[in-house]
Amino acid sequence: MNRLARILGNRLFALSTLIGIGIWLLVVPALTGGLGANPVEKLLHLTGEIAIWMLGAVLALSPLRALFPKSRIVAALNRHRRAIGVSACIYALLHLAAHVVYEGGLDGLLRSFSKPFIWYGAAGLSILIILAVTSNQFSIRSLGGRNWKLLHRLAYIAAALLVYHQAIAGKGHWHTGRWLFFPLASLQLARITKQLFMRPARKHRATAILTTVANAR
Amino acid sequence: MSDHCIRDRDLAAVAAATPEPYYLRRREFLRLFGLGVAASAFLPLTSQAASTGFPDALNAGYKLDGVKITPEDLVTSYNNFNEWGQAKDQPKELANRGWKTRPWSIEIGGLCANPRKMDVDELIQLLGPIERRNYRHRCVEAWSMVIPWDGFPLAKLVDLAQPKGEAKYVRFASFFDSANCRAQRSNDFPWPYTEGLTIEESRHELAFLAVGLYGKPLPNQNGAPIRLVVPWKYGFKSAKSLAKIEFVAEQPKTLWNQLAPNEYGFYANVNPNVDHPRWSQKSERVIGAGFFSGKQATLMFNGYEKQVGHLYAGMDLRKNF
Ligand code: HEM
Repeated sequence: MNRLARILGNRLFALSTLIGIGIWLLVVPALTGGLGANPVEKLLHLTGEIAIWMLGAVLALSPLRALFPKSRIVAALNRHRRAIGVSACIYALLHLAAHVVYEGGLDGLLRSFSKPFIWYGAAGLSILIILAVTSNQFSIRSLGGRNWKLLHRLAYIAAALLVYHQAIAGKGHWHTGRWLFFPLASLQLARITKQLFMRPARKHRATAILTTVANAR
Repeated sequence: MSDHCIRDRDLAAVAAATPEPYYLRRREFLRLFGLGVAASAFLPLTSQAASTGFPDALNAGYKLDGVKITPEDLVTSYNNFNEWGQAKDQPKELANRGWKTRPWSIEIGGLCANPRKMDVDELIQLLGPIERRNYRHRCVEAWSMVIPWDGFPLAKLVDLAQPKGEAKYVRFASFFDSANCRAQRSNDFPWPYTEGLTIEESRHELAFLAVGLYGKPLPNQNGAPIRLVVPWKYGFKSAKSLAKIEFVAEQPKTLWNQLAPNEYGFYANVNPNVDHPRWSQKSERVIGAGFFSGKQATLMFNGYEKQVGHLYAGMDLRKNF
């Protein structure tokens, strides 16, 4: 267990995994003709999937830490939250690039932005960019810890927007979206429940719930 | 005697140059259509000819000059066939894991004087000879191909069935086989896949029943053994692997229209001026055109406006999308 935790906590390991996923799923098929009949569409879908699952991974990590405070593995993975979050943003930018190439011209691109489904994606991506750009010590210091934390809670809004973006992107996509949405929602619920019950019942119950919800991050 | 010798020799050469399943299927196909003798005269011993298949003649009226025919491997590896997976590269694999499309029974029924149920190859023989037509194919998802279909006009089948005066629509139902098709065990879709045309549309010279493409029997993923092809409408109207064709008085319920009536209308004519709620229909991605090809402009009625425009004269195409 300790050995595994050490490997999982290793920066180089995390970085090569995050980049390796892209090489394995995007670059290798692109070079070997494995992207099929509509290669740009395939890239569009793959980059979108990678980005949203990475975002899901980040959002799973903090409740996992609260639920399993003693787990070394969870602690090791939590070291990489910033790296995974920034990767999600980079893959999402590649997703946007694939969309631009797919449309192939300004007309088509502008027309695509007349559709609400694209707005959800664009809104989500804007949040991811803001979070990625402020994911450094300098930003934490200049914003102040509290504000920074508040700002980074936008990640939950991004996730909601993007699960919706994915769910309506194509027929039947909710079928994959729900595999992301329900586990994440359950983790949050479990964390809130745990904090609710582990807290000494000194305060009035309603205030306890309120504080818990407010702290549930 | 010589006919047989030539045929066997030629088929041996074909066998050597063709992947096994195709060879077997084509041999069966040739035999079934009684084309063996004719085929032997047309099948030279080169592998080139072996891959071009049975000799149905191109209908010169449907040559489509100046457009690039989509390569065969793309036509057969990029399919929306939800019975066999949601992703477009899945049907090629999932529809070929033991799903049998021959023998195949097809039923013609409803309000017609000549209802019947028979084997698809009998029907094909009744409706033949097979002709080839190059048709544009425009998917509602804003991509397109140009496909060389082999088959015959749907009108021939309509004439055979002799619909009664009350028949105003034709309903097309694909197979239902939940024992062999996993997707059909779920209630996510109102199986079987159903589509419909007005009786006028079904009699139009462009409406086609395809039994092959690129000179070979339809691969399973493209809707074997027989499918509808309605080139001026979005691809989802062209129901695959037909099990039943029925003449009815009321507009039939169709699968996509039931699932999302605001997205998929009954008419579903290709129309660059009426968007899908999630994307523009003004342009389309041409499959096989290359990474940086961008999109090309979509044509009214998919380029068949001259031929079919009169069917919809005076109709509000925004409302009847
Ligand atoms: C300006 C920003 C964005 C644009 C223009 C955009 C555009 C698109 C388009 C055109 C599709 C394909 C729809 C189809 O195939 O019918 C799509 C699907 C998708 N997008 Fe985005 N998107 C954006 C942002 C994002 C972001 C930030 C994420 C995730 C972090 C994301 C995740 C997805 C996913 C998961 C899918 C479904 C992919 C699949 O088919 O499996 N998108 N997006």
